[in-house]
Amino acid sequence: MLILTRKTGEEITIGENVTVRVIAVQEGQVKLGIEAPKELKIYRGEIYELIQQQNMKATQISKSSVAKAAGLLSGSNLRSKKGGPGTG
Amino acid sequence: MKFTSRQFGDIDYQETHEFQFPDGIIGFEHLRKFLIIDDEDSQPFRWLVSLEDPNLSFPMIPPSIVVPDYAPVLPTGGTVFAVAVLNEPIEQSTVNLRAPVMIDTVTREGRQVVLEQDRYSLQHPLFAPPAGVGGA
Repeated sequence: MLILTRKTGEEITIGENVTVRVIAVQEGQVKLGIEAPKELKIYRGEIYELIQQQNMKATQISKSSVAKAAGLLSGSNLRSKKGGPGTG
Repeated sequence: MKFTSRQFGDIDYQETHEFQFPDGIIGFEHLRKFLIIDDEDSQPFRWLVSLEDPNLSFPMIPPSIVVPDYAPVLPTGGTVFAVAVLNEPIEQSTVNLRAPVMIDTVTREGRQVVLEQDRYSLQHPLFAPPAGVGGA
C-alpha cells in the first residue's frame, strides 16, 4: 500500500484521469473531492462490500424460499404469533 | 435460444428478451446478460437470471411492495426492483433498498444503482415487524 500525507487543498492523481483532492479535514473526518471518468464506478468501501455480500447471499436463495416468502406477503401482513420474541 | 438454469431448468427464450447490464451486478461485474423471469409461485418476486452462469439468479421484488412510498432520486427512469435476501427464519429476510436494480424495458438495459442518500437501507426488513414490538 502506498501511503501519502496530504494537506487540505492538495491532490493526488491516479493514472491519467483520476484526481483526488482533500477538501476538508475536521474531527476525524476527511472530505474528498474525486474527479474521474464517468464509467469509473466510485463507491464508499463499506457500502460496496455490503452490497456485494447481499448480492452473494441472494444467489443462494432457492425457489421454495421465495415461494414461502411470497405466500407470507400475500397473506396480507405477516402475522406473528402473540408472545413472540422481543417481549419481556 | 436455449439456456439451462440451475433454478429453472431448461429455458427457451428469444434474444429480444435479454437484458444487458453494461456494468454487471455489484460483486458480479463480469455478468452482462440476464433474463427476468416471472415465476408464478414466486410472485410478486421476479428472478434476475444470469445467462452466463447457470448457478446465478437473484430474487428481486418491486420495492413499493415493501415500502409503499419508496421514491429515491434515480439517475434514469425505468422499472425498479430491490434484491431480496431471504434468511432463516424467513421473518428476518431483508431487501436492499439502497442499491436498486433499474430496468429499462425500452433499451433493454439494466444496472444496479447505489443511492447517494442513506435514507434507504441496504437491509430493510421484507416483512413489517409485528405490531407492539418496537424495531431495534
